[in-house]
Amino acid sequence: MARVKLEHVTKRYEDVTAVDDMNLDIRDGEFVCLVGPSGCGKSTTMETIAGLTLPTEGEVWIGDREVTRLPPKDRGVAMVFQNIALFPHMNVKDNISFGLRLRKYDSEEIDRRVERASDIVQLEGMLERMPDEMSGGQRQRVAIARAIVRNPDVFLMDEPLANLDAKLRVHMRTELQRLHKELETTIIYVTHDQAEAMTMSDRIAVIDSGELQQIDPPLVCYNEPANLFVAGFIGSPSMNFTTGDVTESGFTSDSFDIEFDPARMGVSPGDHVTLGVRPEDVYPVDQRESVGHPSMRIDARTDVTEPMGDEIFVYLVTQEDIEMDFEAAEAGQLLMSVSPDSDVDVDQDIQVVLDRAKIHLFDSETGDAIQHGLVNPTSRDSTTEEAEAGSDD
Amino acid sequence: MATESDSKTSDGPLNRWASRSIRNPERTYRAMFYVAAIFFIVTTMFPFYWLIVLALTPNNEILNGIGLVPEGFNVYAFVEVFQQVPFHFYMLNSFILATVTTVIVLFIASFAGYVFGRLEFPGRGVLMLLILAISYFPPAAFVVPLFDIFTGNSPIVVPFTEIALFTPPRLINTPAAMVLPFSALFLPLSIFVLTTFYGQIPDGLEDAARVEGTTRIGALFRVIIPLSAPGVATAGVLTFISVYNEYFFSQIMALGNDYTQWSPLVGGILSYQTQYTTSFNLFAAASIIGVLPVAILVIVAQERIVSGLTAGALKE
Repeated sequence: MARVKLEHVTKRYEDVTAVDDMNLDIRDGEFVCLVGPSGCGKSTTMETIAGLTLPTEGEVWIGDREVTRLPPKDRGVAMVFQNIALFPHMNVKDNISFGLRLRKYDSEEIDRRVERASDIVQLEGMLERMPDEMSGGQRQRVAIARAIVRNPDVFLMDEPLANLDAKLRVHMRTELQRLHKELETTIIYVTHDQAEAMTMSDRIAVIDSGELQQIDPPLVCYNEPANLFVAGFIGSPSMNFTTGDVTESGFTSDSFDIEFDPARMGVSPGDHVTLGVRPEDVYPVDQRESVGHPSMRIDARTDVTEPMGDEIFVYLVTQEDIEMDFEAAEAGQLLMSVSPDSDVDVDQDIQVVLDRAKIHLFDSETGDAIQHGLVNPTSRDSTTEEAEAGSDD
Repeated sequence: MATESDSKTSDGPLNRWASRSIRNPERTYRAMFYVAAIFFIVTTMFPFYWLIVLALTPNNEILNGIGLVPEGFNVYAFVEVFQQVPFHFYMLNSFILATVTTVIVLFIASFAGYVFGRLEFPGRGVLMLLILAISYFPPAAFVVPLFDIFTGNSPIVVPFTEIALFTPPRLINTPAAMVLPFSALFLPLSIFVLTTFYGQIPDGLEDAARVEGTTRIGALFRVIIPLSAPGVATAGVLTFISVYNEYFFSQIMALGNDYTQWSPLVGGILSYQTQYTTSFNLFAAASIIGVLPVAILVIVAQERIVSGLTAGALKE
């Protein structure tokens, strides 16, 4: 068990910077997900922690040791790989005990530890099998057993579930959480699947283009994304974005207007901003009673519906006479998530409201978040009344 | 069907054969397979058969000319081989030279193969080409300078000057004089083979081994080489056979055809020729005996290579 710290870690290849000035401080026993699109540098970050890649600049600390230049074997880490990477010429037991045998443990100790590790991942009776005689899920469990058998200070997991089928993946997700609860070891987990990151981790580190965008607990990343990238990446389906301008009376765009007092929201008239709102914070107007801080009505037309079973995604077109090419469709589109018993048809005119408390404002230039929730932070209720009164008639 | 082919009998046998082949090409393929197989078996096996004929025919009969069957049945030649010269020692020499060379070559080529197959560095392609270029040199090009060095008579000088650096040890008539040039000459091929095999081992396996507690070299010996067993076997067998059969260097580096001077198999065979007599039947018998160990090695190794390839050891 150990704390993991990255200080100004940069990894440059000849023509690309894979990791750019990364600072991470992962607490002892914490489960942290590094999440980002493919090629964002999350795997390189993990490799610098493991020692498989040496950083161009910066320092890596594990526990209270600086390990930047140490070879992987001396770092006290264990790793589970995306392609599982079991040694095909060894049976399960030899695979699990590989690290122990290298460290010259005596055979009784090895047997005891292998037994315990295979118990934890439920591999009883399979110790003599060869990897190619096992299913994907079993192999992944062997890989996890190989990692836990050495009692490492830190677990590194590089998309360990990516090659498993959907059902098994959900199952292994809970297994990993159970494992973390049981072992209480620091786990660093790389994934491109934001759902995996949301469900498992104590904190999520969102990475894009080699730069750390935000590191916070899942719900903080979800509710208070630090910038446009995090807002768009976390949450499925993705947040709706509308670019527009700030005026004296609020936000205006080609699609819709939202009224608020710019001075109280940290913006000033003339600013270019992007307004973001999640699909579940868009409501049909007949449900506005249940919304804490409904916005003005927005006229829209339903375009396509996607019934998911537990909810229906409704694609709304908010702009009149939009050209049906993709770019324009994207701009004038608003995704709404409604309950499955809602009565929504395609090609209907509909009015919707947004939950003002859940609207995010981002600076269009830098992408940084300006404001989460367009409700006056000090006197919440009064401003809503005013805004509502203004918007309704 | 039968009536149809009957009606075409007037077309002649070639036409009938052609139309049957078109309807059933498998037949033709099978026929062609047998023709080709028999051709290759005959052309490769006939020299062996000829050796056996020679070995079994008494020497005085050979000088009268021989046909396709042995003139007599002189099995005693296979015993006489060991009586005239200690042929087993020549075989042992060849065996030792081949084994030592193979071990050295595999050891060095493994490191080189790892570097060329698994590491990215500038100039990799050029360096690989340079190494391969060595294998295109005619070995005779090295013989004179190497002989000069291995006799150890004169010191090595800086080129174009008289400045002496050191006098090399006298290696002539010792295994070193043969193992060193053999290793150098057969290395490029092995490096090439092992580079290909080591390059195909997934990076994840090496990374896993290194995280689990090996160094890079440890990962090479514990994971990469075992998984590349077919490649290592191929490189090893090729090197072993080449050295075992080597004639040119060993004939020069061993000053006489004497087993105490590390003269190998071929030198032993040649020693059945004396100033006044040439025992062709003993030549043949010795050749057959000499080839047996290699033939056995190839059969055993071939099974291993095939089993290694079909086991799908690298499947993830």
